[in-house]
Amino acid sequence: MTTQELTDLLGLKALSTFEPREITGVFISDMLSDVMAGAKSGNLWITVQTHKNIVPAANLVDASAVIVTNGKQVPEETIELANKHDIAILWTESQTFELVGRLYSLGLATQ
Amino acid sequence: MAECAHTWNMTNRQFGFAVFERCSHCRIIRAYYAEQDSWDDYKEGEHHWSIVENAQTFRFDLECEECGMYVSYDDFLGLLYCTSCLDDCPVEILRKKYEEDNTWILVGFGFLPESSANPYSAEKLEVLSEYFNQRRDTSRSRVKILPNSLIDKLSLCRGDFIHDVGMLSLEPPEERKPLF
Amino acid sequence: MTFETIKSVLGANVLAGTDLLQSEVSHVYASDLMSDVLAFGKSDSILLTGLASQQSIISAHMAEFKGVVLIRGKRMKDEAKTFADTHGMVLLSTAMDMFEACLALGAQLNGSVTAPRPAPDRATHETIILNSRFNIEGSDFASAGLVSTEVKSVLKKIGIDSSIVRRVAISMYEGEMNVIMHAKRADVDLVLTPQYIELLIDDEGKGIPDVNLAMQEGFTTSTEEQREMGFGSGMGLPNMNRNADELTVTSEVDRGTVVRMRFHI
Repeated sequence: MTTQELTDLLGLKALSTFEPREITGVFISDMLSDVMAGAKSGNLWITVQTHKNIVPAANLVDASAVIVTNGKQVPEETIELANKHDIAILWTESQTFELVGRLYSLGLATQ
Repeated sequence: MAECAHTWNMTNRQFGFAVFERCSHCRIIRAYYAEQDSWDDYKEGEHHWSIVENAQTFRFDLECEECGMYVSYDDFLGLLYCTSCLDDCPVEILRKKYEEDNTWILVGFGFLPESSANPYSAEKLEVLSEYFNQRRDTSRSRVKILPNSLIDKLSLCRGDFIHDVGMLSLEPPEERKPLF
Repeated sequence: MTFETIKSVLGANVLAGTDLLQSEVSHVYASDLMSDVLAFGKSDSILLTGLASQQSIISAHMAEFKGVVLIRGKRMKDEAKTFADTHGMVLLSTAMDMFEACLALGAQLNGSVTAPRPAPDRATHETIILNSRFNIEGSDFASAGLVSTEVKSVLKKIGIDSSIVRRVAISMYEGEMNVIMHAKRADVDLVLTPQYIELLIDDEGKGIPDVNLAMQEGFTTSTEEQREMGFGSGMGLPNMNRNADELTVTSEVDRGTVVRMRFHI
């Protein structure tokens, strides 16, 4: 499944502009250190973090997209940086815990 | 025998803290990896250390799965991402140059203050860049890690560490203050 | 659900609050950011977090969580365990990651979780990223290993996960040796799609009379000379079977053998 298909299927809001990419799996953490240590290339990264540092972290591990959950307000500078690095920032009102079941029903899981 | 092209795996991962502290007498900044966080000021000889920041981080080593070559990063503090704060900083000049090539620049830090005088091993940073590039779709972009000794004036640097600062803060995260 | 249930569903260890395992929890909150944890205002809740610090337990207590589950087997200082014990909180630790733990507890709370939809059938609009052909000549021991080396370097360059590349390379090597030892020649097709890597080894040769027998470990038709060189210990097909996600072998005596291997990405 691509990041664009996922966005459409779950009705996520795309905050940045991005080239669709294939999703390889899901990684959930609000800690950049966990992401750098554990996320795999092409993973969907789910977090409540919105600081612009999520962009370099996502870029470093080659995440296919970041989903910001819990309806958290994402600062403009995060979105600007994401646009610059072609990082998909997707957004949902759902909580992380609720989102897991929906991702699983689409056949996505930990890689 | 042909030289090994190396396929790197991250190993010996441990989670801990990057501790940043400043001596209230000589104003020197010291930063290192520690297993436990600490928030108390303490004296050490002439120095009186106050904690500036505790950030959640991790340490690791890299191992080649083909030839078993082992590279230890136990003296590695973390990666800083350049915010283009100083036009004439060598990191910013290189960043602009590499950007044309879809290569994205990060700055690798050893412990401080040691690494501002003796740069972190260029060879180890090259291996680390290779590790991140091997696991990414490099047709889109690449990663290049430069040594922190290239930063012109550390005291003026407004770069951001990709560290977890403020995880325990009970206030919603606002703009982080620079560490230097 | 009770903490006892949570413990068993997550295969968790109890770090604190052993005597409170019968108490009930009806909400789950997953976060590592304590300002968010504090904002979650539901009682009878449990916190799933990867933030292994005493402060995270204290924050959870302030926000009136009844317990905390540490994910990914993270460890905790003794002071944190003591804090949990003295403040009537349950502290658990599971080896699961956040996704797995959320899924397991979600299934408990909702009775069931929607089963994964079968992946859409892509057969009709399959994207082929790469399709390369290689040739192998029978008895050409001097070139043994060249095709598998080439396949390996092609896949590596594309950026395929190194563990998959290794499995493909091992299987290709076995297939290549089989052709060199037993056949006249073969065409090898390497096909790469976003979902899988396929190797198709189509040889001209004497074929395999009993494919099932050849799949058994230890079965070999190699000559003494071949075995002395370290080949043909009878591990070829079984070894491919171990390394490939799908393996089909069809053979016709005096015509040849077709080995098709698939590796899921």
